[in-house]
Amino acid sequence: MTSLTKKLALAAVVAVTPLIAATGAAAEGEKYILVSHAPDSDSWWNTIKNGIALAGDQMGVEVEYRNPPTGDIADMARIIEQATASGPNGIITTLADYDVLKGPITAAVDSGIDVIIMNTGTPDQAREVGALMYVGQPEYDAGLAAGQRAKGDGIASFLCVNHSIQQPTLAERCQGFADGLGVELGNSMLDSGTDPAEVKNKVLAYLSANPETDAILTLGPVSADPTVAALNENGMAGDIYFGTFDLGEEIVKGIKDGTINWGIDQQPFLQAYLPVVILTNYHRYGVLPGNNINSGPGFVTADGLTKVEEFAGEYR
Amino acid sequence: MSTTSQVTDERVKEMSALRRWLIRPELGGIVGTVAVFTFFLLFATDSGMFNAQGIMNWSTVSAQFVIIAVGACLLMIAGEFDLSVGSMIGFSGMLIAIFLVILGWPAWMSIIVTFILCMLIGAFNGWIVITTGLPSFIVTLASLFILRGFTIYLPQTIENKTIIGGIRDAAEGDWLAPVFGGKIGQGIFQWMGDNGWIAVFERGSQQGKPVVEGVPMLIVWAIMLVIIGHIVLTRTRFGNWIYAAGGDAESARNSGVPVNRVKVTMFMFTAFCATVFATCQVMEFGSAGADRGLLKEFEAIIAVVIGGALLTGGYGSVLGAALGALIFGVVQQGLFFAGVESSLFRVFLGVILLGAVILNTYIRRIITGER
Amino acid sequence: MNPEHAPIIQMKNIEKHFGSVIALAGVSVDVFPGECHCLLGDNGAGKSTFIKTMSGVHQPTHGEILFDGKPMHFADPRDAIAAGIATVHQHLAMIPLMSVSRNFFMGNEPVKKVGPINFFDHDYANKVTMEEMRKMGINLRGPDQAVGTLSGGERQTVAIARAVHFGAKVLILDEPTSALGVRQTANVLATIDKVRKQGIAVVFITHNVRHALAVGDRFTVLNRGQTLGTAQRGQITPDELQDMMAGGQELVELEGSLGGTV
Repeated sequence: MTSLTKKLALAAVVAVTPLIAATGAAAEGEKYILVSHAPDSDSWWNTIKNGIALAGDQMGVEVEYRNPPTGDIADMARIIEQATASGPNGIITTLADYDVLKGPITAAVDSGIDVIIMNTGTPDQAREVGALMYVGQPEYDAGLAAGQRAKGDGIASFLCVNHSIQQPTLAERCQGFADGLGVELGNSMLDSGTDPAEVKNKVLAYLSANPETDAILTLGPVSADPTVAALNENGMAGDIYFGTFDLGEEIVKGIKDGTINWGIDQQPFLQAYLPVVILTNYHRYGVLPGNNINSGPGFVTADGLTKVEEFAGEYR
Repeated sequence: MSTTSQVTDERVKEMSALRRWLIRPELGGIVGTVAVFTFFLLFATDSGMFNAQGIMNWSTVSAQFVIIAVGACLLMIAGEFDLSVGSMIGFSGMLIAIFLVILGWPAWMSIIVTFILCMLIGAFNGWIVITTGLPSFIVTLASLFILRGFTIYLPQTIENKTIIGGIRDAAEGDWLAPVFGGKIGQGIFQWMGDNGWIAVFERGSQQGKPVVEGVPMLIVWAIMLVIIGHIVLTRTRFGNWIYAAGGDAESARNSGVPVNRVKVTMFMFTAFCATVFATCQVMEFGSAGADRGLLKEFEAIIAVVIGGALLTGGYGSVLGAALGALIFGVVQQGLFFAGVESSLFRVFLGVILLGAVILNTYIRRIITGER
Repeated sequence: MNPEHAPIIQMKNIEKHFGSVIALAGVSVDVFPGECHCLLGDNGAGKSTFIKTMSGVHQPTHGEILFDGKPMHFADPRDAIAAGIATVHQHLAMIPLMSVSRNFFMGNEPVKKVGPINFFDHDYANKVTMEEMRKMGINLRGPDQAVGTLSGGERQTVAIARAVHFGAKVLILDEPTSALGVRQTANVLATIDKVRKQGIAVVFITHNVRHALAVGDRFTVLNRGQTLGTAQRGQITPDELQDMMAGGQELVELEGSLGGTV
């Protein structure tokens, strides 16, 4: 019996030790929690993490980043509820699915926690759930602007590489782009998945089946990087009109060497940094900007890439 | 000969009463639960984890795991796996949304038809497994892809989007919908709120109402499924057949156990649990999404294994699986309360899984005399 | 032995073909209650096919089975079990992870009605299991002891006790002693003797002549799907049995080279 007890005790200690080591380091001051809808695998959100960390340091507040590991929005709702239960001063969250998140966010607001909606969602929805403001890039509008720009460049058909088909906001970018061009979305949206090799091969297959495609729109580094590789392989790099949402190291390189015509920077850094600063100032001094903040769209082209290049993937 | 075997075999050590009481399939789960709660009570007491909202939060998440773990547990004891649980959650939620919102059926009909269809799919999984003799691992892996594919394809084709909302409004006033999406005990919570025992909303339309409105039906379902599952498994003839089918299907058949029927029933029950999960989810959140339930099959299996069930079947406990699910839910949500970097969640999960499996293997060897 | 009592099973001229393979080519065997009928034969002699025909797993291609003097047609093993023919298989008798009492009542669980629901009557099952096992000379630590903690011989005994408890009139034992040590074999043979004395017909399949001679009343040797006749106890010597099993000459030569140890 004693040996069993010992083993049990040992097992308990082993399980608990790393937990203790990882806790601690709780700063004084206000506490803000940022909840995103992105799965762990989405590297784009690294900029967001860096953004809140920097703002936290500068303002002397405690910040935390939380996300559903698999990107399941229902899990995200639980995380918001949990954030509410832990009683922070403010919550910064995306509104990836209005239906699902409306309840938890409203409950947070009603329990006296200030909420800022960032990244996904619309200003209207943000007002509806009782958030202070919206910081981000309205997806449909950004897509529409990009479509209009492409139309001006003489584009009539396109392929939209969607790496996260289950997320409605990404599809809105494609829809906006199609509307900007004035064409039907139809079969132009490709469900590419997130695996780089799969994305690349699906793009290759689509382009060989539809050689008359004028343009490609990718929705982020996850789809853009493999698409660049695909275009390099089939020799269409620099030839086909290529626009993308968001920035990343590979995308910046692509813009520089002419493979990518432009990147739409929604400036995620601002989406993370600004809410923390705004909330802190609101809680300390009661000051609040009078309107929503559009962090994008900003078109990044080959001109003036130096700063972008330096901080791509970190703060850009 | 008979005289020697009448006396107790001197090589079998007598077990002390304490040891016998300790050595149960649930022991690993009990130890884990105690360890996890001790830890969080020490490190996360003042973080809100144990206020009304906090408790409701990890209870709800754990209840979700419990619901699918009960199904996965009984199926695993019957000797089979279902990897399509996660996809089934997405698929059944989507079916309800399509019937209810797009086809405009009444909610009760949408729910019942979805349950029937999903249990038929479960039965089909089981039928393929028993007729082909293929490992259920492979068969349900195929279902995982097929169902997930339809879950994305159907709404995209019909509605051009991957999320269908408006379920809550469409189910308004229905008699069956609250059985999944409703809450009970509002009166008690309101009373506790009025007495200041639990926090109340400070502003908004809910002002003055308690932050925890009631116990979600999700939790009620979880508790009911655990009780029913436990009784069926340990106290009925069918439960004996479940053990027998998973322990050794051939021996069980030789003894007259209808193994095929047991296995198909368990596949259907797993599908039922997944559909309960999905129905509660869509009724609570009001929308069905193509990405719902991703990877839930593994979470269910992990909870079951933490709870002491044997991956190869024939051994396990519903109570253990429920404790495994509780550990899973509490750790997942509790790490946040304790202020641990969220990306480390998987590390803890791995550590707990490994620890639990090692402990469970040790316990099981003592009970069953495996070497 | 006892001319006045009638055979409980008569297998008359049984043939079984699997496609072009003739597994049994006209085998006739009579099994009497209260006797141990040993079925001997080398691997591939057709023993398994023969007992599977007797227990309803296979339908004979030709020939007739009389049970209690009446022609019987078993559609599946359940029919045979219902009629009182129980088979205890060599490896597939017990589920090691389950307790003795759960194993004992597997497929025949006693139920107790509480309200509208039928519950497994654990108290009754435990009591009966302990009793029956004590009768067979095995003292369990408890009815909840897992079968995996029992020795091979004890497992066979549990399986036999189970078949007897559920009213088997004919007990088919498929190589119960082949994987056991000396002492455990003796235990199983003692159990067979106890069962036979209760008036049950035992069909004991083995390829070990010494085990057969220890408990057998009648001996039938199968070779390449045919029977070489049935002998009664005392009419045949161990050497003759051994020879018949191996089909004669070859083994005699082999035995010579091994110095008579086979």
